[in-house]
Amino acid sequence: MSLKTTKMLFRTYVRNLKVLNLLESRFLASLRNDTKTITTQSQRRESRSFKFQNSILSLCLFWVALFFFVIKPLAFAEENIPVFPSTPVEAYTIYASLAVFWLAIIGLIVIIKMKLNEIDRIQKLGIDKEDNEAPLLD
Amino acid sequence: MIWPKFRDWIEERYDIAKLKKLAKSKLIPQHRYDFLYYTGGITLFLFILQFITGMLLAFYYIPHINFAYESIIDIVTKINMGWFFRSLHHWGAQLCIVFVFIHLFGTLLIKSYRKPREFLWVTGFILLVISIFFGLSGYLMLWDERAFAAVRVATGGAGALPVVGSFIKIFLRGGTDVTGDTLTRFYAFHVAILPVLSLLLIGLHLLFVQYHGMSTPISLEHKEYKEEPFFPNVFYKDMMIWLVVLGIVVTLAILLPPEIGKKANALAPPPEGIKPEWYFLFLLETLKLFPGIILGFNGETIAIVCVSIGIFFFFLIPFLDRKSSRGEKSPIFTAIAVVYLLYFIAMTLVGFFS
Repeated sequence: MSLKTTKMLFRTYVRNLKVLNLLESRFLASLRNDTKTITTQSQRRESRSFKFQNSILSLCLFWVALFFFVIKPLAFAEENIPVFPSTPVEAYTIYASLAVFWLAIIGLIVIIKMKLNEIDRIQKLGIDKEDNEAPLLD
Repeated sequence: MIWPKFRDWIEERYDIAKLKKLAKSKLIPQHRYDFLYYTGGITLFLFILQFITGMLLAFYYIPHINFAYESIIDIVTKINMGWFFRSLHHWGAQLCIVFVFIHLFGTLLIKSYRKPREFLWVTGFILLVISIFFGLSGYLMLWDERAFAAVRVATGGAGALPVVGSFIKIFLRGGTDVTGDTLTRFYAFHVAILPVLSLLLIGLHLLFVQYHGMSTPISLEHKEYKEEPFFPNVFYKDMMIWLVVLGIVVTLAILLPPEIGKKANALAPPPEGIKPEWYFLFLLETLKLFPGIILGFNGETIAIVCVSIGIFFFFLIPFLDRKSSRGEKSPIFTAIAVVYLLYFIAMTLVGFFS
């Protein structure tokens, strides 16, 4: 997931959480108002069932809202196509391989440099040139 | 035990000693600009890398309007190491064009194009054009909305050329608009026509280099300078540089794999803030400098004509620079080269950050 997508999802998440908090506080406020006006026992019973219904309703609404505002955007958000293996194990293996690859390159460069120094030394001594006057052995 | 036998077997049939002698007799001048010699070798190495990764990608790519995009997603998500080879191909192409430009401007600044190397310049210049067209045709292979819009703009720009413009546009697109025919056509260019042309031109370019030998800056022409044999000294240095370049390409491929956008839709509006590939930015910014209508003529056509004249003049520099062909210093053409270079860099940066 790219940084841009993550940022966008995080912003959506925060915004939706705010909406949910507002919904929840409104339901709680309505429940508090109901309890203040209760006088008789039947009214109290009624109010209790009403309170129960309300809490169930608010809970349902809460979960529905949670699904639509928070879980859905997170779970079904239109993501970019993953262009890099997403599992941590694979990512770790790739980065470790990259480090080994660079070590191998450095090692090869050191070997080639040593070889080059040796060639320079031989060329300075002049022993790399073919001696045309050297006697031929049969 | 096998190797000496094999060597003897080869030496009985071919005069390897003569080839060795030839490689050792090729001398490379040593001076403060000799690092520019390596840019040609790096470009060659990147071309080889592009051929190898391109062949691997061609095993799985489907050049059809309905399957092109999906086949790339399959390459990236389902094929083992597919994402890596696609990324390597992408970054190899980017660096290849970077080094082609460095090689070109290096040649221009040290006047390596001067007599008798004019045809080296010509083959190199055509190779640059081919590299850019490689980039453009490869970009469309993805068949996402950005590639679609970029190719529509680029081919449309070519269409603004007077007289031959509409022919070039229709020839490139395979019709009046960018369609599945364009994809098929670009695929043919990308995997068959351009590789063959580039192989021929690279061969010719290398042949000219061997024939003329390495060029030296004008300031060193009548002076004594050090030389070292190509084999083994410069060959080993080339090897070291190629290893570093390979490391850079692999690192970029792993750390910055190229994204895939939404599938191209001919009816959808182009995405916001769309930009062409970086090597087209200077052209785009130049076109923006011109107003829509100039003296009753289409501004875009005039802009394209001006840019074409600028590029054509650039191409003709070896034939126009008489002083350097006589072995004299030519500060005017050095200034022209600097202006071209600065303009290219400045406009690319403006396009990139705007």
